[in-house]
Amino acid sequence: MSKVLEAIGIRKSYATPGGGRTTILQDLHFHANRNEFVSFVGPSGCGKSTLFNIITGLLTPDSGSILLKNRETTGAPSPELGYVLQKDLLFPWRTVIDNVILGLEVQGMPKREARERARTLFELYHMEGYEKKYPSQLSGGMRQRVALMRTMVTQPEIILMDEAYKALDYPLKIALESELLSVVKQQQKTVIFITHDIEEAVTLSDRVYVMKAHPGEIVQEIAIDLETDSLAIPERRLSPRFNDYYERIWRSIGTQPASINE
Amino acid sequence: MAMNSVSSRETVAGSGRRGPRESFFRSLNARRYTLITLQVAIVALLLGGWEAGVRSGQINPFLFSSPSQVWQVLVDRFHSGEMLGDIKVTALETIIGFAVGAIGGSILGLLLWYSRFISDLAAPFIAAIGAIPVLAIAPITIIWFGTEMLSKVVIVAFSCVVVSLTTSYKGALRTDPDLINLLRSFNAGRGTIFIKLVVPSAMLWVLSGLRLNVGFALVGAIVGEYISSDSGVGHMILLGSSNFGMNIVLAGIVLVMLMMLCFNALVAFIERLILSWDKK
Repeated sequence: MSKVLEAIGIRKSYATPGGGRTTILQDLHFHANRNEFVSFVGPSGCGKSTLFNIITGLLTPDSGSILLKNRETTGAPSPELGYVLQKDLLFPWRTVIDNVILGLEVQGMPKREARERARTLFELYHMEGYEKKYPSQLSGGMRQRVALMRTMVTQPEIILMDEAYKALDYPLKIALESELLSVVKQQQKTVIFITHDIEEAVTLSDRVYVMKAHPGEIVQEIAIDLETDSLAIPERRLSPRFNDYYERIWRSIGTQPASINE
Repeated sequence: MAMNSVSSRETVAGSGRRGPRESFFRSLNARRYTLITLQVAIVALLLGGWEAGVRSGQINPFLFSSPSQVWQVLVDRFHSGEMLGDIKVTALETIIGFAVGAIGGSILGLLLWYSRFISDLAAPFIAAIGAIPVLAIAPITIIWFGTEMLSKVVIVAFSCVVVSLTTSYKGALRTDPDLINLLRSFNAGRGTIFIKLVVPSAMLWVLSGLRLNVGFALVGAIVGEYISSDSGVGHMILLGSSNFGMNIVLAGIVLVMLMMLCFNALVAFIERLILSWDKK
């Protein structure tokens, strides 16, 4: 299997007001293979967002490097990489379709052509009829769909997701995750999914990195095989192997004393 | 004020559901009519009392004029064409000065987003210029730019520029950094970020600056006309007061009020046009 993304010895620390330094990320090594769904799961304070910013190139690590298809990233954003956050980051003054084409437009594609391309996505994402609405007219789940469409339409090879479905209620989350899984498997995308939710990590992923906090470190790497071909989250959740994985991850996170003050 | 409260009630009513809440809206409407009725009654009472006071000799018409006399002045001036002439002059000064000062200032303020260095460099100068009262520089502008329209346009522009500049710059600075990062992830340059994100997202602040400045602009034009002029509504008021023509002064004030309401309505209309995405 070929690695599309590899991180070697990532370290990151911040200066503290007292003059010292706090280590956020301690020597991270990880990778993602082509078409693989890889999750990072860990408690708050484990540096997930810092990690996210380093992978996207918005932050530079103190040491270590990120290889995208065996080439070191330069810090400039790569078109191979698209991201989706918890905040949907839609532009409120743009219609849904114009939000979807934002990336294409910025990359220089004429608006008409970009809209043509975007229009083909609306059926797949169950958003037909909402092309000309404004984000304020949509529900939270729909807005998240639009955010995913905006990323997918630029056809990145790797999709980076940071707590993308955290703010949604449970049934909606399940529905959107099922959609996500079938889209990324069908289009053969690599996904790096950052979450604090073990259940989410197990049901979606091919492989999970478990992180601990203070400093952020990878404590375990678990390959997931739920022994089902179904991409529907409820079915995957009911796999007899689910509890096993859940428990293993829970235990490796649970060995760390959790602080309530965070 | 009255108009504001009425329109905000309407939005509340419009977004609600029908059915069990209907009685609630009926009482809301009743409240609204009560308010309007009372407001009209207050105006009628004041004007009526004033008029009655003058007619019965309790109020000196030489000092305080009367509603009917003011109305007469307005009617006469309308028929003689003087009124439209004055309004045209003052409106033109206000609009051109506003376009240069408020819109120009807004554009400059947005552009300051481009360079932190230039904005830091300019900050004390902007504050200093903002600290100069329009009244203080008005006489100089007459000397520099003459007694014609140009000097008033300069005064109007001067009285708008700093507020527009600072509000729009603040608006530009408030651009959500996550949205900037999103555009960066698409490899957008600073110019693209400015056009596609900073300008539209600062539009709310730009427009609130413009709304504030409508008032300043009209005040600037009137002040300019007080200093030196041969026409305009300010000229009409000045001339009236120097001849103890209270009718004319008050008629002028009525005209200024009406103009202000029109300008405000115009800006509100433009605002609704630009922020059309903001409605649910």
